[in-house]
Amino acid sequence: MIVMKRGIFFKVSAAALCLLLLTGCWNSKDLDKLGIVVAMGIDKTDDDQYLLVTQVINPSEIATEAPTTRPPVSTYSTTGETIFEAFRKLASESSRDMYLAQLRLLVIGEDLAEEGMMSSLDLFYRDHQFRTAFYVAVARDTDVNTLLSILTPYEKIPANKLMSAIEAVEQSHGSSKGVRIDELISQIRNKGQNPVITGLLKEGPSDTGNNITNIENIDAPSNLTIDHLGVLKDDRLVGWLDDEASRGYNYILGNVKSSVVTHPCTDGTASIEILRTQSNMDAVFKGGEPSIAIELDVEGNVGELDCPIDLGEADSLKDLNKETEKEIKRLMETSIQISQDDYGIDIFGFGSVIHRKNPKYWKTVEDDWDTHFKELDVDIQVKAELRRKGNSTQPIKKEG
Amino acid sequence: MLKQKSNNQTSAASKPLIPDLEESLAHIRSTMGDSSDLVIRPMVIHKTSAAVLFMDGLVDMNAVQDFILDALMHEMSSKRVSSHQLYLTIKESSLPIGEMEEIETYKELFDKLLSGETIVLIEKQKKALSASTKGWRDRGVQETTSESVIRGPKEAFTETLRTNTALLRRKIKDPALRVEPKKIGRKTHTDVAVVYLEGTAETEVIEDVMRRLDQIDIDGVLEGGYIEEFMQDAQYSPFPTVYNSEKPDAIAGGILEGRIAIITDGTPNVLLVPALFVNFMQSSEDYYQRSDISTFIRILRLFCFFVALFMPSLYIAFTTFHQEMLPAPLLISLAAQREGVPFPALVEALMMELTFEVLREAGIRLPKPVGSAVSIVGALVLGQSAVQAGLVSPAMVIVVALTAISSFVFPAYNMAISVRILRFPMMMLAASFGLYGIILGMIAMVLHLCSLKSFNKPYMSPFAPFIPKDQKDVLVRFPHWGLLSRPSSLTKKDQKRVDSTSKER
Repeated sequence: MIVMKRGIFFKVSAAALCLLLLTGCWNSKDLDKLGIVVAMGIDKTDDDQYLLVTQVINPSEIATEAPTTRPPVSTYSTTGETIFEAFRKLASESSRDMYLAQLRLLVIGEDLAEEGMMSSLDLFYRDHQFRTAFYVAVARDTDVNTLLSILTPYEKIPANKLMSAIEAVEQSHGSSKGVRIDELISQIRNKGQNPVITGLLKEGPSDTGNNITNIENIDAPSNLTIDHLGVLKDDRLVGWLDDEASRGYNYILGNVKSSVVTHPCTDGTASIEILRTQSNMDAVFKGGEPSIAIELDVEGNVGELDCPIDLGEADSLKDLNKETEKEIKRLMETSIQISQDDYGIDIFGFGSVIHRKNPKYWKTVEDDWDTHFKELDVDIQVKAELRRKGNSTQPIKKEG
Repeated sequence: MLKQKSNNQTSAASKPLIPDLEESLAHIRSTMGDSSDLVIRPMVIHKTSAAVLFMDGLVDMNAVQDFILDALMHEMSSKRVSSHQLYLTIKESSLPIGEMEEIETYKELFDKLLSGETIVLIEKQKKALSASTKGWRDRGVQETTSESVIRGPKEAFTETLRTNTALLRRKIKDPALRVEPKKIGRKTHTDVAVVYLEGTAETEVIEDVMRRLDQIDIDGVLEGGYIEEFMQDAQYSPFPTVYNSEKPDAIAGGILEGRIAIITDGTPNVLLVPALFVNFMQSSEDYYQRSDISTFIRILRLFCFFVALFMPSLYIAFTTFHQEMLPAPLLISLAAQREGVPFPALVEALMMELTFEVLREAGIRLPKPVGSAVSIVGALVLGQSAVQAGLVSPAMVIVVALTAISSFVFPAYNMAISVRILRFPMMMLAASFGLYGIILGMIAMVLHLCSLKSFNKPYMSPFAPFIPKDQKDVLVRFPHWGLLSRPSSLTKKDQKRVDSTSKER
């Protein structure tokens, strides 16, 4: 009995000892051994190699009470046959393991985007470390390296600044839209819809952005801004939408959470604050030919009034409603017109709507949908309803 | 059989009394080795030799003086009688003492003598008289030091068994309250009382308790802990299966739930069985405060149980394996704090946890005036300076502090101990396998908990097995008018507690 017990005791303690001594802790990494990557940029070099730019944060510089002059982020750029190879070459430049799960933003060079980006996105979708929730954007008119080397004022981490700016623009203006990697890849694969992509711009002279002096100024000379949407044909960048077309695009897809619509009214302009939109897209078949019907419900407030309207009168709000509807409809039509006439690419997913409505018909047009799209009739119905007039019923002007 | 073999001395002492007084006294003296505290007062009552024996310090001197010596030496009628007649007179009419017994053997004699009774020996008699004159200095009923409450009785048990049973009697004035005596310990002959409510406690459990107590054969019992370790079900489990408290109201509450209290002479800590996991999460004050706040506090305690058990291991797992599970700003802030810390997270955590355990132990052992010095050293030197010196990260200090505070929340100290112990294997698991290890540890812990029993009652009931009726007084405490029945996981007898009409008005 005792012998048996002792046997068990030895076995258990041997197992416990093994647990302590033999643990590989194979993927254990202490925080201070990690380089937290927040942004990555990819582009093609002149000799047809991939260029990988990695923005790594310097945690002790960000969460500190006594900041030094060292920058809060550093960038490393490497080249390689493939992106993965370039990534592994980072080891020779950086002292730390690159940690990718916190990646905020992937910036694609304009050249690479025009050439087709699908093959280079594979790593970002395959590797287990990446979350699929980071934004993909295209560096417009700048090379990736410069764009990722700009220090931003106020927000210490440039990638964070870009990400929150993308979200802010999307939510409170609607002139651009953040595109996440999973969304982008599924839209590239989808025959009924072509993707759009966010554009990033660098403002200011090209040689000052990467220096800490850039953010020592109150008005930083170099800054990063969010541009309008780029239009992709499959995975190739073919052009850009302007401000109005971008907003129209977001209205059509019901992406607008909050925005502002400005339209002329008697002797001035009125700005309407959009609070909520609800878009409904449907395919209608008439005599075998499809058309698209878009219904958009808009709710808003009177934001700013610069024309002599008495909001106390019953009809004045109705007039404003109508003007708002007209203006939004114009934006949407502009957007459709540009994509039909200039690019001939369905970025709205009308194809998918038709696919869902009439799969048989879709089979017949699937392969050259873009030509059919150019001829597609789109009927737009906008219904605006202004809820509140604000604190005054009259413009200030009228008082004096 | 075994017992008798090992009890040579006792069996020698259990021989019948020697009728010859001188011889008898000589035997007693030699057995006691002429102890200085043994007082033998020889006397002659009507020409018959007699002797009064007592232990100095264990008896109430006034009682011995007034009711025994006085009575025997002054107030006996002067008529000469035979020795046997004298014995009968003394036994029946002369000693104005409440508790009196006849003894026939030396074993009984020593038992009584050494527990503070006064023995009257009379020449030529085979029997002796023992009068209860117990009375020694004790602490008196004082305020509880280890389980303080805001609202509710503050008295605590004392070291004296009789006082303790009286405290319980004062709470439960029911004739069904049984106090069954036991003696445990070959050398210490410690008095143990088993207290329960007849008709409420389950007979099988009572029998089980008695059987386990009778089985104990040990030379000495100095505290209830000796008994607890002999009678607990899970000998190698880190979790306690016997509850203890020094508050009479907590024990009385347990008795009313059909549980059985075991009072050990010499300690204020009274044991209570069967004890379920949830009992250790409850405080007697839960029943005195309003039910809503009691419910909140109970849930808070359960939350603290998990914090105290898992917090350091979660910190290790998150910072070494699962950085992707932290929100970015938190990760950056943690990374900045870890910057320059020379140890891996496990070593850092172990170091701080061990330091805290050392501090806690030192704080308990040191005399009170010095104790505060320890807390200053602990708070200042370890909290502040270790961080400033860059040896540990500030986040680690917060984790340790939170863990420590959480472990103080449990009303039952012995449950806090299990959590303290289990924390370390959890940290090892977290450092080896990350969250996966923590989950493995947790599964093993839950399996173990569910396999435990306390006096044949499933330890995790009323959760496993799930008893809907008993949920009224586990995480949630219903108002007293809603606690209609006794917890059926503890007793199936005498279920009714509250008449459902008693709330009507």
